[in-house]
Amino acid sequence: MAKVLEGPGMGLLKKWGLQTPNYAVVGSSEELEQLAQANDWLKNSPLVVKAHEALGSRFKLGLVKVGLDLNGAKAAAKEMLGRTVGTLTVREVIVSEAVDHSEEYYVAVKSTRDGADVMVANCGGVEVESNWDRVKRCSVVVGDAPSDASLEVLAKEAGFTGDLIAKVADFARKLFLCFDNEDAQYLEINPVVRNAAGELVALDAVTLLDGDAKFRHPDWTFPFAAEFGRAYTQNEEEVMAVDSKVKGSVKLIEIPGGDTAMLPAGGGASVYYSDAVVARGGKLANYAEYSGDPPDWAVEVLTDKVCSLPGIKNIIVGGAIANFTDVKKTFGGIINAFRKAKTEGKLDGVRIWVRRGGPNEKQGLAAMTALKDEGFNIEVFDRRTPLTDIVDMALAKK
Amino acid sequence: MSILATKETHVVIQGGVAGVNAARRMGEFRHMIQQPLNVSAFVYPPDAGKTNEIVCGNRLLTIPVYKTVAEATANHPEINTSLVYIGADRAYAGTKEALDNSGIQVVSMITEGLPEKDSKLLGAYARKLGKVFNGPSSIGVLSAGECRLGVIGGAFDNLVACKLYRPGSFGVITKSGGLSNEIIWICSQFADGVTTAIGIGGDAYPGTDYVTYLDMFENDPQTKAVVVVGEMGGDLEERAAEWYGAKKRRIQLLAVVSGFCQESLPKGMKFGHAGAKEGLQGEGSARAKSEALKKAGAIVPDTFGALGPAIKQTYEALVKSGEVTPIPELSEAEQPKLPRTVEQGMKDGDILVAPLIKSTISDDRGDEPLYEGYPASELINKGYDIPHIIGLLWDKRLVSKQEAEIIRRIIILSADHGPCVSGALTTIIGACAGIGLSQAVAAGLIMIGPRFGGAVTDAGRYFSHAIDNNMSVDEFLTHMKKNVGPVPGIGHRVKSLRNPDKRVKELVGYVKSLDLATPHLDFALEVEKITAAKKDNLILNVDGTMAAVLVDLGFPVDSLNGFFVLSRTIGLIGHWADQKRQGSRLIRLFNYLVNYAAPARREVPPLK
Repeated sequence: MAKVLEGPGMGLLKKWGLQTPNYAVVGSSEELEQLAQANDWLKNSPLVVKAHEALGSRFKLGLVKVGLDLNGAKAAAKEMLGRTVGTLTVREVIVSEAVDHSEEYYVAVKSTRDGADVMVANCGGVEVESNWDRVKRCSVVVGDAPSDASLEVLAKEAGFTGDLIAKVADFARKLFLCFDNEDAQYLEINPVVRNAAGELVALDAVTLLDGDAKFRHPDWTFPFAAEFGRAYTQNEEEVMAVDSKVKGSVKLIEIPGGDTAMLPAGGGASVYYSDAVVARGGKLANYAEYSGDPPDWAVEVLTDKVCSLPGIKNIIVGGAIANFTDVKKTFGGIINAFRKAKTEGKLDGVRIWVRRGGPNEKQGLAAMTALKDEGFNIEVFDRRTPLTDIVDMALAKK
Repeated sequence: MSILATKETHVVIQGGVAGVNAARRMGEFRHMIQQPLNVSAFVYPPDAGKTNEIVCGNRLLTIPVYKTVAEATANHPEINTSLVYIGADRAYAGTKEALDNSGIQVVSMITEGLPEKDSKLLGAYARKLGKVFNGPSSIGVLSAGECRLGVIGGAFDNLVACKLYRPGSFGVITKSGGLSNEIIWICSQFADGVTTAIGIGGDAYPGTDYVTYLDMFENDPQTKAVVVVGEMGGDLEERAAEWYGAKKRRIQLLAVVSGFCQESLPKGMKFGHAGAKEGLQGEGSARAKSEALKKAGAIVPDTFGALGPAIKQTYEALVKSGEVTPIPELSEAEQPKLPRTVEQGMKDGDILVAPLIKSTISDDRGDEPLYEGYPASELINKGYDIPHIIGLLWDKRLVSKQEAEIIRRIIILSADHGPCVSGALTTIIGACAGIGLSQAVAAGLIMIGPRFGGAVTDAGRYFSHAIDNNMSVDEFLTHMKKNVGPVPGIGHRVKSLRNPDKRVKELVGYVKSLDLATPHLDFALEVEKITAAKKDNLILNVDGTMAAVLVDLGFPVDSLNGFFVLSRTIGLIGHWADQKRQGSRLIRLFNYLVNYAAPARREVPPLK
């Protein structure tokens, strides 16, 4: 899943015929001033300014300002741009036209196993979250599209009356078209509002696209945002850059404050290792994973980052019995990085725990065992030791 | 018995290199169970019409590659299964092509990163046709003792260690490829092994879910219990729990679910497979799934580590109830083995191979070439030069500084002799005809023979003959006249006593200035005195001089032409490059340079 920020998200809605407020994404207050010379709405309408970054709780952080005129908007933009929140610096703001409205509604399309659910409620904003039973849904089988009649029934079910039935049905129809054609996984418009002319307008949107489908969407020129409410760290970005270049995969997510570093193999096994650490009362310093027989240098980069995590006490080099990942080769990359980290003093007081099986496991494990002679604090186990026992040992031995 | 992949499975593999690797792994499996290869064909348009080589046992099989699935099944009607190894952007079309083929019942896709919509469409399409679409991102399917689809099960040693040469009693369904192998191993150590293990792939919406396969296992009498390895996210585990709890099932279900760590991670932080995403309203958590499975009657150990003992307990109960009879283990000697390669046998020291060739001068097996045992880098660093390498490789000895200097001068003097001589002219004609360096230079080298540059060896041979037999110059010339003809190394086309060859003078002068015994050179100069007196141009030429000097240095007679070949190659390369640089045009002889002496035009007689 790939999250898309509000600006490009609104762009996709417009592309599929949905009405959105006027908006502009800018990187400086000067740019806003220039735009105002060409766009009357910036001069004449009340404006909303929001930090255009992958941040949760923007309201609380003071990164959303409403009811502004152009000068107010410029001031708000100036104030927000360059502010840092954790590891993230605000580099863009989105300025949009406030839409005068009295009622708020909710329309969303969500991917399901069999296709998608179109969801509609005649309340919106925070109200819908506390009244989830008012959300009515209509399931659509993959490959099909909802009929106009079925959407009108849905709108009626959700409590819409009069001309709103047709308008909501039409809005939902277009949102579904956008969902289906743009390889979306989740589109949520909350709130949908009715402007002075009586038209439905998408005021705020959550847009999750299927990043795997990027190859057939040449107009997806926007970057995807990190999904967990913070920006990627430099180490994470470096690992991602390696990941995009190599066969197989290497992944890293840093978790500040933990002391158990993870360097397991396999998208499945890595989560069981993390579970074992948490079950034992340990604190994860990161999530990591390598799989699909990546080149040794890619695993070396990943290991280098894992060794550099601050305050770590244990490194868990776990893994199931590989099908085709060469244990000797991938361990070669890990060992290179371990040696470098040791000379840099990063492994002082750090214990390393290894468990692995797979092609060339004997040679790979022997090479790890040989690190003992170089003064590493390392314990090596083969397939006969159950998968996550090394975590039990690491966290039991105080 | 088994499900999905059986003794009757015959496979077409759609894809390139990765597919070929999978076929090789499948070949290893078939060798282990002593069955012929079950990969009938490949479909890969760029290689259509070619064949792929797949080892099965000690045989190298050639498996044809086709452009379309339809062509493959028309030529191999036994095909009923397709493995998809196509890139994510073309995998949908390839899979659809396979599903549309009436002969194919099962399609398993290893491709990762398939768009979710494509996966859902293919799953729905397969269900509509009553077929199975497994994956995407599937490591494959393996039925012990019967069939392997893909690389699931890993290396051959692991297949044997996991006793996959014969069926056990446990079915396995996992999302993770690595964990499928882990569970196969656990089942072989804590119980009697597996019937079929299926990787369904780690995507959010796999083409086929646990329930479909649980149903198949329920109907497979060999399978007594099934291990499901689940993940947080989606509702596949909940649906499996619902299926299991719906009525009394024959099979015992065991399950573990990963993702408990999410409960204590910062909100919104998710990781693992693409499908491992908790729902927006918190559904699909590891805890909810585990509870649902437990409630439905499945055995759900608290941790992955407790799965082994749980499987053991289940197995022991099955044995006790008489449902399962323990299978006697094979001794190490009875276990299947891969045929050894010649390399391995030689390494182990129990194979003797008669070598095809013998080399006594150089060895390339280390990190750098050894010339006559000396590492090339050490020769460089200790100041040795090209003449020393010639000495090592042509005569197996390190020549002295003095000898090296003579060789160096010989090379310099004979490196080139202008564009008109046979060798250079031929190379130039070749270069003008547009042919490449090695061919044009080789064409020039072909000219080296008795009349051009190739007299060094013969001259050396006859001068040696004279010295070895203590001949006088007269005796020698008589011997040559009677038995050979003109003396090789004597005579020049344009040079003469009055127009001496400066190269000869230079070389003779240098060699004679050294403190060196030169019986052959002295003899040759004596011969020249007699022959040149008879005819002005019967002088000692450069071939003869080189020959006499080199024989004096002790080089074997047969190596002598090599000095000219080596030296002149420098010039020939220069001539080729020179013409190339100029962009020279194709050349041909002018008519007026030919004396057309063939019969004049006349009528062809009737064919008899």
